[in-house]
Amino acid sequence: MTGSAILEIKDLRVSYNGTRAVDGISLIIEAGEIFGLLGPNGAGKTSTLSAIEGLVRPEAGNVKVTGIEMRGAPPSARANIGVQLQATSFQSELTIFQIIRLYAGLYGVPVSNGKLRSLLAEIHLETEAGRRFGQLSGGQQQRLALLLATIHNPPLVLLDEPTAGLDPQARRQLWSRIEELRRRGHSILLTTHSMEEAQAVCDRVAIIDYGKIIDIDAPEELIKKYENDPRVRKAARGQVTLDDVFVGLTGNALRD
Amino acid sequence: MSEKTAGEAALNEEAAAGNAPGFDGTFQPQIGRTLASLLQADAAVLVRNRRSLIVAIILPLFILLASKRAAVSGSAALLGASITFGLVSIGILGYSMSVARDREKGVFQRLRVTPAPGWAIMTSRIAVQVAASLVMSAVVLIVAGEVDHIVLSPVGYLLAAASALVGAAMFLSIGQMIVGIIKSADTINSLARFIYIGVVLFGLLGESGKLGAALASVATWSPYGTIAAMFAGAGNTSAWTGETWLAVAASLGYILVFAGIGIKWFRWSTD
Repeated sequence: MTGSAILEIKDLRVSYNGTRAVDGISLIIEAGEIFGLLGPNGAGKTSTLSAIEGLVRPEAGNVKVTGIEMRGAPPSARANIGVQLQATSFQSELTIFQIIRLYAGLYGVPVSNGKLRSLLAEIHLETEAGRRFGQLSGGQQQRLALLLATIHNPPLVLLDEPTAGLDPQARRQLWSRIEELRRRGHSILLTTHSMEEAQAVCDRVAIIDYGKIIDIDAPEELIKKYENDPRVRKAARGQVTLDDVFVGLTGNALRD
Repeated sequence: MSEKTAGEAALNEEAAAGNAPGFDGTFQPQIGRTLASLLQADAAVLVRNRRSLIVAIILPLFILLASKRAAVSGSAALLGASITFGLVSIGILGYSMSVARDREKGVFQRLRVTPAPGWAIMTSRIAVQVAASLVMSAVVLIVAGEVDHIVLSPVGYLLAAASALVGAAMFLSIGQMIVGIIKSADTINSLARFIYIGVVLFGLLGESGKLGAALASVATWSPYGTIAAMFAGAGNTSAWTGETWLAVAASLGYILVFAGIGIKWFRWSTD
């Protein structure tokens, strides 16, 4: 492990039916860092996350979580990751209480009823314990998903478009929770289409397209670096923003 | 203490007590605990879906009681046919549809990003369905004894329990094969009903000889027929012959083939 690196990805390549989705991505995420993966649809963000989670077998390269290689010891590596998938779903018959108990059990975290109640109170769902996941609002579902992702106090938390479909209030509340996680020492890797979100919460971002990293840096540094780039100037409407840098570097063409 | 602090304190306490992974990367969940958590959740789902379990029990009872009144066939054969009918419902309809639905909704993908091994996730699912099959078989045997006075010998009850286990494995393996070969939950929904009706009708009509002598022989050695033969042998242990053992062997062969196909081709997501 390099220094305090929590996640190390080296030359990662992922293909589906001969089509390369991730093409040689390498990056390191340090302890306590919030890192954003930005890219248009189909750029390879979710495929990269899937490889980190061990859901897809990379064609080449390796992923280490707290120094544990995902390919070599998936259960141990997964025990050190908390995941919020893009479309989170649980068995529709289970109550919120039962879902938390299940996931706590899968991570070996014993939780008494009292502890469960305090965890629910933390995410303002104390009155929803007997309801089912599908009966919660989008914001409530995201809060629960984040609680489940961190119930075992993992060093690394992966969030796949965590604020997609949320209203501005719920989005800002989630940003606060993400920052709170960082304060508690977690490292966070998130994917997003929102440049506002990336600027608001990420320490560093990687812009990826066609499975390759175009650049990695702090959002402000990327703006400084590319503000005079002709592609970015062409995309800008007034003062250059991260959004302009993103569109300038990845192009205007619509993606799937 | 604020609510937020209380929640954090709860987790920190557990981490400090060595119960949570914390940040040293050495945590390895115990498989027993993982299985217990999965079984608890899957059992809760089954209880919540008790209506489908009740239907899986009522239909065999209906066949048992209605056919008895119609004096269709011998009591042991009838008992076997009724239980087999329930096992087909649970394995082909219940199991395959629930797996297809959860796969489409991404339930499995969420479970797979935890340290729980894939085999534990599926073992828990199957174990709960086997338990449901045994409950259904027990209810039918009890009702058969109480209402229809079809009482088995002690060895007969043991053989019936073993037949129920093999039958559950047989029809769950067919359910597994369906979800292994087909990804779409809608297609599985339709196909499972079609296969269910086909297996039962072919088993019942074929064995009765109404479809001709050649098909009667095929029906006898079909998945439905071999399990029904085992139950018939359990109902009348003196009729448990070499042919019944061949039915056991054929059943085990079917299970190996269907489960093998189902496991080999199974995908955790529909992507």
